[in-house]
Amino acid sequence: MKLFRVIAFTLSVATFAGCASTKSSKTWSATGDPVVDGRSVISHGPPKDRVLWQYRTALAALRRGQYGEAKSLLDDALLTIGGIQGKDKEAKRSRGYFSEESRKTFRGEPYERVMAYYYRGILYWMDGEPDNARACFRSAQLQDSDTENKDYSSDYVLLDYLDGLATAKLAGDGSDALKRAQAVSKAGTLPACNAKANALFFLEFGTGPTKYATGEYDEQLRFRAGQSVVRSARIKIGDQTISVGPCDDLNFQATTRGGRVMDHVLANKAVFKTTTDTLGNAALLTGAVVASNRNTQEAGLGLLAFGLVSKIVSAATTPSADTRSWNGLPQFLSFTAAELPPGSHTATVEFLDARGQVLSTLTKTANINVASTRDTVVFVSDQSHTSKP
Amino acid sequence: MKLNLRKQFAPILLTITSGLLAGCAWTGVKNPSGVPVTEMRADEAGFVRSTGIESQDLVSVTDKMARSILNTPEIARAQGTPRIVLEPVVNETRFPINKDIFLTRIRTQLNTKAHNRVRFLAREQMAALEREQALKQSGQVTSSSDPNVVEFKGADFFLTGKLQGLTTRSSAGTSDYVLYSFQLIDARTSDIIWEDAAEIKKQGLEDAAYR
Repeated sequence: MKLFRVIAFTLSVATFAGCASTKSSKTWSATGDPVVDGRSVISHGPPKDRVLWQYRTALAALRRGQYGEAKSLLDDALLTIGGIQGKDKEAKRSRGYFSEESRKTFRGEPYERVMAYYYRGILYWMDGEPDNARACFRSAQLQDSDTENKDYSSDYVLLDYLDGLATAKLAGDGSDALKRAQAVSKAGTLPACNAKANALFFLEFGTGPTKYATGEYDEQLRFRAGQSVVRSARIKIGDQTISVGPCDDLNFQATTRGGRVMDHVLANKAVFKTTTDTLGNAALLTGAVVASNRNTQEAGLGLLAFGLVSKIVSAATTPSADTRSWNGLPQFLSFTAAELPPGSHTATVEFLDARGQVLSTLTKTANINVASTRDTVVFVSDQSHTSKP
Repeated sequence: MKLNLRKQFAPILLTITSGLLAGCAWTGVKNPSGVPVTEMRADEAGFVRSTGIESQDLVSVTDKMARSILNTPEIARAQGTPRIVLEPVVNETRFPINKDIFLTRIRTQLNTKAHNRVRFLAREQMAALEREQALKQSGQVTSSSDPNVVEFKGADFFLTGKLQGLTTRSSAGTSDYVLYSFQLIDARTSDIIWEDAAEIKKQGLEDAAYR
């Protein structure tokens, strides 16, 4: 009777483990257009990955000059990032022994959240709202504030620099923000903020970091550094030539965050998995020996059942880290501003390698119309399909 | 013997069945039946929260400002009806928002509850108003008064505001303090004839899965 109960319990645990995971069926067909396909995944894909796809699709839209599309996607994603989800059931389950971390609603690691705010800030500035752009840059900097080593806390140069520039343009005193930017800059003295500069160039180049998992059970989240052939850029507008170096490196930002609270949770899960597995092995071996003796057969079978349960529990424990990544991010972020007379201008953006040679296949040309009443914002990526003001 | 077997298998079957039911009901879908639409009052804190600027903040701040403006002596005891022009609110917080929504609500509160004690000038419609005046002056459309006489009113006061914030983030959570300040400025003298402020502080801590 006792034996049957043990077997029944074992089967139940197996059933739990087997049915806990489901796969969503694909109900859309790929077109090859990253924005259209991204929209389809957002609509039909798993809700937990919605923000991830909003990030990816927004960036694809931004690089194609589809700014309205990028805005709506980022606005929706930022609602999720910005909300304090005190009692999120899926997040709670993702901390449980038998659920993967990737079960939680994706919000991204700090460098990914920073980039969502950063891109939205650019779009606000493009729309003539430098104060809302500044708000985004401040929120972005806050996302980077919870680092393990406080030396790397809120250390994006560009975010503070843009905060200072926006403040100066809004007739405020941006000197504190500029001092912070200068203090964390590794590229020497930053150019002084020119509040009269009316053409703002946001440049990015290279391929940013991605995530992978390591450890016995893939419980340790790690970042694989991206690569960039491009090391700097040069903008030619009329008779002006402006050299632009990188301000921030996303590889550096991703790898200096330090340990997460979730890493401790995953480490505990890994220990639990190892312990239950070892216990299961010991119980199975001991049980087999004990069960071979007719006098202790019942106890041996009990131990075997216990060992089986322990092995199943171990197998069902999922300590693997969440490696969903916002792929497609750049490695380097850069910025410059120029003072141009109102009217039409043609800007040529050349990307240069480490030796200062122009990578001609990456050169972009933008026809910009400088307005007299507000700043003209130009976003150019080495991966842009098009660039327009 | 039959009775014994039934006794043994009954709990097993029960366990397996409940295991199957419980295991398979967990499909990984959050709220599979959806969440019914819940109508909330704009001034109540809903079940979706953030430390940012929310509708209940907007309502409480603008209600307070509208009441405060009406109690200002320059408005309450004004000779004639003061004309007010809205100037954009400056957002210095970390929250990107539609800033005009604050002034829009103060204006609608004053227009609906002040019984014409103040009037707002539609400066954002000036382009359309000037077009209409030009049409009247050219005789293309009729006019109930002399179209060559300027009747656009000048402002007695400018109403503007500023949103400023302080943010703290640590392992204990995120804390956001926002100061909402509004001013009524005399257009003739540049005197600030009225100023009031509201403060809101919120704190929260996200799930450990995101930290």
